[in-house]
Amino acid sequence: MFIQTEATSDPARLTFLPGRAVLPHGTLTINDRAAAARSPLAARLFDVRGVAALALGPDYITITKESGDWQHLKPALLGAMMEHFLSGAPVLSEPAHAAAAPVSEATGKLVEEITQALRHVIDPELGYNIVDLGLIYHVDVDTDGLATVTMTTTSPGCPATGYLSDGARERAASVAGISRAEVKLTYEPRWSTELMSDGAKAHFGIGTGGRR
Amino acid sequence: MLGVTLSRWTMSYFAAALAALLVGQGLMTAGYGFPSAPLRAPETLVVVHVVAIGWLSLLLCGALFQFVPVLIARPLHSNTLPLPALVLLLAGLGALLAGFLQLAGTLDPAPPLLPVAATLLAGGFALALYDLARTLWPARPLPLPARFVAVALFFLATTVTLGTLFSFALTTGLGSQPLLAIAGAGLPLHVVAGLAGWLTLAAIGVSYRLLAMFMLAPELEGTRSRAVFWTGTAGLALAVLGGLAALAFDAALAPALVGGGILGLVALVLYGADIVHLYRARKRRIIELNSQMAVFAFAALAVAAALAVTLIVLGRLSEQVGALVFLVAFGWLTGLGLAKLYKIVAFLTWLECYGPALGRAATPRVQDLVVEARARTWFLLYYLAVASATVALLAAHVLAFRLAAGAMTLATLAIAAELIRARRLADVSAEIRLPAGAQRPHLLMSIPHPSR
Repeated sequence: MFIQTEATSDPARLTFLPGRAVLPHGTLTINDRAAAARSPLAARLFDVRGVAALALGPDYITITKESGDWQHLKPALLGAMMEHFLSGAPVLSEPAHAAAAPVSEATGKLVEEITQALRHVIDPELGYNIVDLGLIYHVDVDTDGLATVTMTTTSPGCPATGYLSDGARERAASVAGISRAEVKLTYEPRWSTELMSDGAKAHFGIGTGGRR
Repeated sequence: MLGVTLSRWTMSYFAAALAALLVGQGLMTAGYGFPSAPLRAPETLVVVHVVAIGWLSLLLCGALFQFVPVLIARPLHSNTLPLPALVLLLAGLGALLAGFLQLAGTLDPAPPLLPVAATLLAGGFALALYDLARTLWPARPLPLPARFVAVALFFLATTVTLGTLFSFALTTGLGSQPLLAIAGAGLPLHVVAGLAGWLTLAAIGVSYRLLAMFMLAPELEGTRSRAVFWTGTAGLALAVLGGLAALAFDAALAPALVGGGILGLVALVLYGADIVHLYRARKRRIIELNSQMAVFAFAALAVAAALAVTLIVLGRLSEQVGALVFLVAFGWLTGLGLAKLYKIVAFLTWLECYGPALGRAATPRVQDLVVEARARTWFLLYYLAVASATVALLAAHVLAFRLAAGAMTLATLAIAAELIRARRLADVSAEIRLPAGAQRPHLLMSIPHPSR
């Protein structure tokens, strides 16, 4: 991963271009640590001493410093950004389904079809589909037919992670009406067996105290 | 994307390790080394190092190249270094065995091969250590399981250093008096550093995570688990580092070993409580064969701890230390190793073969790559044979030991055959064996998916 920097007209502000999507829609300005709680990326950047504020855009992060020299701040900020993007954590931590935007009937149908399609992807270890295991946190479709699947895995660092997200992307993109699919991996919240469907719980004998 | 992928050479390590295990067991069956020969005879050293380096260390190194990245959710520093490390380790092991045969008088003593072996082995382990340490370093502060591994790697370095010292003392000589003192009486420290510090500590660390993953049990990082780490580490430091200091300053070794042993025992009791908790708190009610068979390995560790205490109380440790080491190596470490290998080989094979087809075609489950009912018989035979062999050693019954070792060899051969079947997809029904997009795995190495 290579992160470029661009100077701005204000010497206290520096723009970083990580070469990947930062915030898919709009921009977000965060002026203090408390407000950074909603973004794991922002929280990590505020851990660097000398950060006063930051702005997240579609493909950039602009940092405003309160003190210090960029020469000293830059390595720590680059490290924090690398760590964030390599960790797979989302830029915003609130579950996507919390954003209760009105959903059209057509979009709702597409989301349902994608969810059904994702049932063809199994978690290899548990041998059960990723939807009923509760690994799919949210499915969203925008007006351009871009599907965004927010999902997790049963364990962070699992070597199956890449295959699972590729499989989910593939299935979501195979649905008629979807032009492109993206998968966002998140570990917030961490997966637990509580997130399984009743059918999956019964399959694994969870909560019943009994055996399959 | 967390960047954790398939370790390219882990299967090669596993294959070499299994071959060494079978050679070691074959030698014991044939009556080569202890108990047919004395405990410190060169023949016994051949068997011990085939098992300790060839089997256990290669198994653990191969497993760590795959699972250290999982423990810290970061990629392995280099997926290439494990290959030259393996070549050096195998060459070093060959030279080491030849060096022991020189001591036994089986081979011509010139040129002395032990220093060559020590250099090759140190080089191989150094490469493995460098790769794992470079992987762990940026992940600080480490999660608890990875801390066990980090300390285990330190004791691997200690074990190799002591071994190197012995090899030079036995051949070219040593110029330093403290080093001579360590080489002369440091064998117990080499054994403790290797069996407990390197192999057992790493197995404990990895077991915390693997058991939680495979049984859907909560991941333990609480006070008791941390106490296992600190008491275990302190016990090993006292026994090994304290022991080294005692030898270097011409003091008695026993206080360091006894003090370290007591702390080690406390760590094992706490670890046992953690394991019982993991099994009880598991969400997955029906556990797979690997988790079932690991129970026998944990039981072997508990029995070994109890046996050690009993032998010390009876004042018979030195005469029965062979039986104790055998139980630790074959009941605990090999038992756990084979049980987890049974899962890991199928899991990694699944990822390599069917991972690329996920979402594109119907794929079998990991469980469809194995036939647990068939393998269960061989695992039970293995543990029964280990128990019998331990009793035979305690009773000093050589023939009974050789018969039991033969049964162990047979069971291991059968388990190895099951692993090869899993790798070959032999037990997957033909209709779903190779769907579009799947790639047939190589037997001895893994090809990570190109997009990974």
